[in-house]
Amino acid sequence: MKALYQFAKNVSRNKAFLLMVLPGALWLLIFAYLPMPGAIIAFKEYRFGKGGFLASILESKWVGFKNFEFLFTAQDAFIITRNTVLYNLVFIVLGLICSVSMAIILHELTNKKLSKLYQTGMFMPYFLSWVIVGFFAYSFLSIDKGVLNQVVQYFGMEPISWYSEPKYWPYILVFLNLWKGIGYSSVIYLASIAGIDKSYYEAAMIDGANKWQQVTRITLPLLQPMMIILTILAIGGIFRADFGLFYQIPRESGILFPVTNVIDTYVYRALKVVGDFGISTATGLYQSVVGLILVLTANGIVKKINRDQALF
Amino acid sequence: MVRKKGLSLLALVLVLSLVLAACGGKNNESGSEGSNSGTNGGSEAPVELVWYTIGTPPRDLQKVNDEINKITAEKINATVKIKMLDWGEYSQKMQIAIASGENFDIAFTSSWANDYFGNAKKNAFLAIDDLLKSHGQGIVAALHPDFLEGTKVNGHNYGIPANKELPQQRVFRFNKTFVDKYNLDISGVKTLQDLEPILKTFKENEPTIAPIPAKIAEFFHVDMPINDIPIIGMPLDTTDYKLINVWETDEAKAYLETMHRYYQAGYLPKDVATQKDAGDYFKTGQWLVDVADSQPLADNLWSADAGYEVVSVPMQDPISFNWSVAGSMQAISINSEHPEKAMEFLNLLYTDADLMNLLDFGIQDVHYTKTGDNTKDIIPDSGYGFPAFTAGNLMLTYLNSNDAPDKWEQFQKFNDSATAAPLLGFQVDTSKITSELASLKNTKDAVYDALFSGTVDPAVQLPKAIEKFKENGLDKVMAEIQSQIDAWVASK
Repeated sequence: MKALYQFAKNVSRNKAFLLMVLPGALWLLIFAYLPMPGAIIAFKEYRFGKGGFLASILESKWVGFKNFEFLFTAQDAFIITRNTVLYNLVFIVLGLICSVSMAIILHELTNKKLSKLYQTGMFMPYFLSWVIVGFFAYSFLSIDKGVLNQVVQYFGMEPISWYSEPKYWPYILVFLNLWKGIGYSSVIYLASIAGIDKSYYEAAMIDGANKWQQVTRITLPLLQPMMIILTILAIGGIFRADFGLFYQIPRESGILFPVTNVIDTYVYRALKVVGDFGISTATGLYQSVVGLILVLTANGIVKKINRDQALF
Repeated sequence: MVRKKGLSLLALVLVLSLVLAACGGKNNESGSEGSNSGTNGGSEAPVELVWYTIGTPPRDLQKVNDEINKITAEKINATVKIKMLDWGEYSQKMQIAIASGENFDIAFTSSWANDYFGNAKKNAFLAIDDLLKSHGQGIVAALHPDFLEGTKVNGHNYGIPANKELPQQRVFRFNKTFVDKYNLDISGVKTLQDLEPILKTFKENEPTIAPIPAKIAEFFHVDMPINDIPIIGMPLDTTDYKLINVWETDEAKAYLETMHRYYQAGYLPKDVATQKDAGDYFKTGQWLVDVADSQPLADNLWSADAGYEVVSVPMQDPISFNWSVAGSMQAISINSEHPEKAMEFLNLLYTDADLMNLLDFGIQDVHYTKTGDNTKDIIPDSGYGFPAFTAGNLMLTYLNSNDAPDKWEQFQKFNDSATAAPLLGFQVDTSKITSELASLKNTKDAVYDALFSGTVDPAVQLPKAIEKFKENGLDKVMAEIQSQIDAWVASK
């Protein structure tokens, strides 16, 4: 009884905060926790049956780890895993460097109006769908009408058939990913820079620190916790490729597959012919489990080095 | 600490209430359904059938739906609720409706939208062999037997094909404007190789236009057990039912070499392999020849669509393949509460001309006017349109005033003239070769467009591609399909 009273008191005291958390919590419950039991489809040969979705799951045959087999037996398993992990590593490292430096530069700009303008400009690509970005890229890379080839020809060189030259694509994909994502992530860093107490800088200036010293001695160390949190979270998604980027941008050019095929696109292409729920669920589960292990490992390492900065 | 505990308790309460709400909703629903079917049994109250079908929903759909219900209520004591979903979203929405076990009764399905064969294999649809016999005699009588034979999955019928053209007939389509202008002789064309002199003349006169404006579909003399893996094929004239590697045949090699020669000569656009939106040429008229699948009087349709004259010459005699037979079907859901009524309604679509004309063209004098016993004119922008080929017996419907009066006879003749492909009615059971098929499909995507658009040199790339297929389990898949075919042939 006392506990219940305590609980009611807690709720009433924190009702404003709880209300703020509610939409996010509901979202998480409905879209992340509620479907979780569905992961058992990964171990089943899913067939539709009478009585709806739940009944169909229960009635489907258990097949153990059969649905996971194709992820490891496929000839391309190595290539797609390598592509997925390497691209994501590059995205994480370059993304971190670029967005932190961009945030610092934006913060140091004295003209606040211009700073806002740049910020908005960089934010815009984040809202574009990859399909649209794919067409933008095509207008640059098209073999006969593309802007880049016009330039190349202007300088008297042979036009390049971009969509059949795998060697350029790692750069193109990394560039587009940064171009699209930086605006968003730099805003997060910008916000935490804005939260840094101004008196640190004032004290530093009185001691004669120049701008560079202020950045390396004050801003970066104080941003470190945020950088660590975001990086640990990003590492959790290292087995999950951005489908839109790898599917839409190379325009499904088969010649580019050695450098553009990732786990997600591979599974999509495979399922277009097999159409199997079990396999797609198995892939998702595999990506999540590996992601979870990686997050725990990364967090463990951070904990070893500095207990306070670990995520949990 | 206390605070944390409170929060987790709250979370628990939220979860519980959610689960309770979900369960409660479910109980209510099933309760009312139960009582519904109870009353149906007793007093024969009209049943409402829910029918999902493909096409842009017209403005007056509800009006026409009401008229349809007048007919169906009288004839089979049922009404239908027509739910049209637009072309682009149909497959995706149906996948959700099917996966979530929604209680719809009838749905459009085909080899190109809301995949018929895949859904049938996964039990999404009801096997209707017995229902066809008991409530669908009109359907059986109206359809060419190959329609039902070719859409069998594991020996059962799961859907009812619309009565329209049955076989595939692939044709070369020509832009007549240019054919006349440069006096090109297209009458002798049958294969890709035959196009060479025509393309050459055209290119000399119109150097800026690529005469073949987009990727074109090939035609080899084979049937394919899996359309997405076109390297495995069965020769059309097979007698021993042994699968072959299509890409190792002389026919395929010659085709790919010709294609590559054409590409190098500039007969195709430079970026043809990665083209995604090639449809524009039909509107602009900047093309000479492409490939399409034909039906009787198709030239008229294409010409009307293009706004200039389009003519075609066939590459092959009409052949019924599994995919062409399954081009447009209606199936009954496994979760349907009234499968008999659904079948009775489908049966009406094959026997009742009034119902079919109403469904396809709308209400007389509102959406169309009659111009003769069996002809009509559509009133433009009157607010109703239905893709006629998606449902029922097309041959019951009125013709357009300018149609050939024997249009449906021509369709009938076309269907009768078709020969059945060797694997008509055979469906691969993919459960043992799932991983290999997944790799093969990726392999196909990696090499197909570049090879078949002529972009790369087949002398170098074709052996490599075949090698890659073999590395990814082609031989195992072929052996498995072969054993399934052997069993199927033995059981026939």
